Amino acid sequence: MLKTEELQINIGPQHPSTHGVFRMIVTVDGETITDLKPVFGYLHRNHEQIAEVNTYLQNMPYTDRLDYFNSMANNHAYALAVEKLVGIEVPERAEYLRVLMVELTRILNHAGALGFLINDMGAWQTQLAFGMREREKILDLFESASGARLMCNYFRFGGVARDLPPDFMPRLKDLLIAMPAFVDEMERLLRENEILLQRSENIGVLPKEVAISYSVTGPMLRASGVPYDIRRAEPYSIYDRFDFDVPVGAVGDVYDRILVRIEEMRQSKRIIEQVIAQLPDAQGGHINPKARQNVRPPAGDVYARVETPKGELGFYLVSDGSLKPYRYKVRAPSFINLTPLGDMCRGYKVADVVVILGSIDIVMGEVDR
Amino acid sequence: MPLLSAEELRTRLGRDLPGAVLEAAPLQIVPPAHGSKGPFVTTDVLVEPTRLLDAALYLRDQVGYTYLSDIAVVDYLTDNLLEVVYRFYHLDGGPSLALKVRLPRENPELASLTPHWPGANFHEREAYDLYGVVFTGHPFLRRIYMWDEFEGFPMRKDFPKQGDKYIGAEE
Amino acid sequence: MDIQRGNIIVMDRRRGTLRAGQGLLQGLKVVWDHWVGSFRKNDNFSQIHGTFTIEYPDERMKLPQAYRNMPVLLYDDETGQELCTACYQCARACPPEVIHITQAKDPNTGKMVPASLEFIIEYDACMSCGLCAEACPFDAIKMDHFYELSTDNRMGLMQRKADLNRPVSYYTSIAPDLWDEVKEGAMKKLQGSIKRRPDVIGIAGHLSEKIAARRRQLAAEAAASPPAPVAAAPAAPAGKLSPEEKAAKLAAMRAAKAGGAEPAAEAPAPAAELSPADAKAAKLAAIKAANAAKKAAESPAAEVPAAPLDEKAAKLAAIRAANAAKAAAEAPAAPLDEKAAKLAAIRAANAAKKKSE
Repeated sequence: MLKTEELQINIGPQHPSTHGVFRMIVTVDGETITDLKPVFGYLHRNHEQIAEVNTYLQNMPYTDRLDYFNSMANNHAYALAVEKLVGIEVPERAEYLRVLMVELTRILNHAGALGFLINDMGAWQTQLAFGMREREKILDLFESASGARLMCNYFRFGGVARDLPPDFMPRLKDLLIAMPAFVDEMERLLRENEILLQRSENIGVLPKEVAISYSVTGPMLRASGVPYDIRRAEPYSIYDRFDFDVPVGAVGDVYDRILVRIEEMRQSKRIIEQVIAQLPDAQGGHINPKARQNVRPPAGDVYARVETPKGELGFYLVSDGSLKPYRYKVRAPSFINLTPLGDMCRGYKVADVVVILGSIDIVMGEVDR
Repeated sequence: MPLLSAEELRTRLGRDLPGAVLEAAPLQIVPPAHGSKGPFVTTDVLVEPTRLLDAALYLRDQVGYTYLSDIAVVDYLTDNLLEVVYRFYHLDGGPSLALKVRLPRENPELASLTPHWPGANFHEREAYDLYGVVFTGHPFLRRIYMWDEFEGFPMRKDFPKQGDKYIGAEE
Repeated sequence: MDIQRGNIIVMDRRRGTLRAGQGLLQGLKVVWDHWVGSFRKNDNFSQIHGTFTIEYPDERMKLPQAYRNMPVLLYDDETGQELCTACYQCARACPPEVIHITQAKDPNTGKMVPASLEFIIEYDACMSCGLCAEACPFDAIKMDHFYELSTDNRMGLMQRKADLNRPVSYYTSIAPDLWDEVKEGAMKKLQGSIKRRPDVIGIAGHLSEKIAARRRQLAAEAAASPPAPVAAAPAAPAGKLSPEEKAAKLAAMRAAKAGGAEPAAEAPAPAAELSPADAKAAKLAAIKAANAAKKAAESPAAEVPAAPLDEKAAKLAAIRAANAAKAAAEAPAAPLDEKAAKLAAIRAANAAKKKSE
């Protein structure tokens, strides 16, 4: 085989396909990638240290800014961690409202993520526009419930900030009518589309054992064939009350990641339907009236995690008995899912890098923290 | 579902890896004058720093906790030590098991898990960047968030919270 | 591994139901359907086809009541009393620490009064989290719906109390249900703090002089003494401006802008802030002032000094403009505000004196 000179090229930091300010130093031999090193930190703001000078409640709006696509899910992880640390009970209705919001978040994240992925493949904005429109509808619902579209800041210790407005449920039910049509349509657009198959099939393969050793989480891990979903593996909140399936991929390539995300949207819709059915019977208000927001937990440490749309988001909190956390560590899914990027890209072509990166579904606010 | 409590893990580790498990001394996170509600006693397994790799591999190969989820460093300034928390999960589900390692704040050094868990790569680079924990055997131990020329470890508790060397202390 | 209440489904990657090229056509059909549908307007959540967008500056989305953008302070419409008692709860709750409060003091006794002397929110650093509104035990701080805050003047985003004050009627117009929930308690607490507020402390700044005058008048009537000379008004603190003057100031500022001078760092006060009683008079005065100011701006002798950067100078300029406006308004002989005209004349004289100095 002809040996050619290796060349180093930079993709990013400011490149439209890098999903933020993210740089990849790619070593290529011809068109084939021999090495890839991700470089980040451009958005680093020492989130964890900011959290150490804030009180526990003050950190809630900051968690919104981690993964700004899924602020509700971030809120959930943080609220769970503090509730575990302090020992706050959450009323049943509040739990249902939380699950409802988090599952809506999952749908909107996957709708957006698939759109961005197809955009990275060169399909421009078509799929993205369809996905974003559904996302906007969900954001409308978030806005009416929490007051903001992206930085929702909706969760409180012991519940959620306020109950649903009266027009929320009719709109949600309308949305659920549209949702299967939307997901089916997305599948029709993507599945067995020859161009998409060319770009995604057997690209960026991450075998099962490798995925586990790389600590990959979320749809990435499941696409590699590991049925590990925290909602099932270590049920938090009230996820043990719902029927839903865990989709896994057979090969672990980009195509599997697309299929898994599409199926997860269907499963999230199933959960939301069960929430709507069970919500009227749920006891308690939207928040535990005894829960103080200005918490002062006893000295100790706690780790709580949730399955966000991107994977396992964990908060490791150490309390020294004061009003502010002594240590606040975020285990961010996007950050860890980036670890195997170099291995996944090795041997593929330069054009595949952006596709593989898009299939990881990263948000730089969470990677850089 | 394999449910192994920290207590059981401690006895198993004590049986199979003699000398690896340490008795966890209570931590005085802040001086009592600052309103701390007593010392903080961990329930997790505290491991001798030099035996960390053995313990982690034991956890993976013998107990089946293959999934390394998180590596967190905590700076206990008043106790003058850094604590590194490794969190493992079993892929069949269930709660985590944590291994904790206590290191001196001066020249903290620890064996890297990256050769065995490639997923530890960024975690360890982050710990090195923000806390200065050196992981021997790591293939590419560089700063990950801060720029390479940065001096100091910004997440340590004694890192100045205001001002920096570029704009002076007034800011 | 098996899971409860669900299955693990392995994604079906099947190929073969479609012949080569059909998958592509299938996708194109989806795009075609959307294109055809895009000629139809759609605002129904249950439909996925059709145009959902609106043409923004002309049309606006109806904002939900819970929508939060930037915090504002409320004051009671009838009494002009601010709901805020300077308890510092919001400042403590604020994550980016952008709220700065000074508590008012009773000038006679030196004791703290449940009212704020100054209340500053740095809008440029505010993260719109709404924790201040949640923390407020008096429901004095609420989240506004106004979102067109873009400016080229960053310092203008440091909002003082005069810029933050909104009447309760404004808040009920944007979030009636949310106000209804808290109305009773808030009003009860307000009555409690009014009792502990001497003089005009705690009254929204632009109303305080008017209310003080009215109070004096009422007191005088109650004492059945001959009506006190209405010249009591000048005794009011010089910093406070009557609504008429405020409107004039606004007009002056606009005139200054038109004249190419730098706009003063002050947000225009919406007309809705004025209580209904003096709205009419203020409007009248404003129109007069605006006309006069326009005239003044056209003439080369515009009294507006170039680029009045600091606020004091701006205020002075505004007063001068107001004077000019009033002098102009005197010509058509408006007996309605004889007093104001007299006052303006005095001020104009003063200004002239200053100028000569």
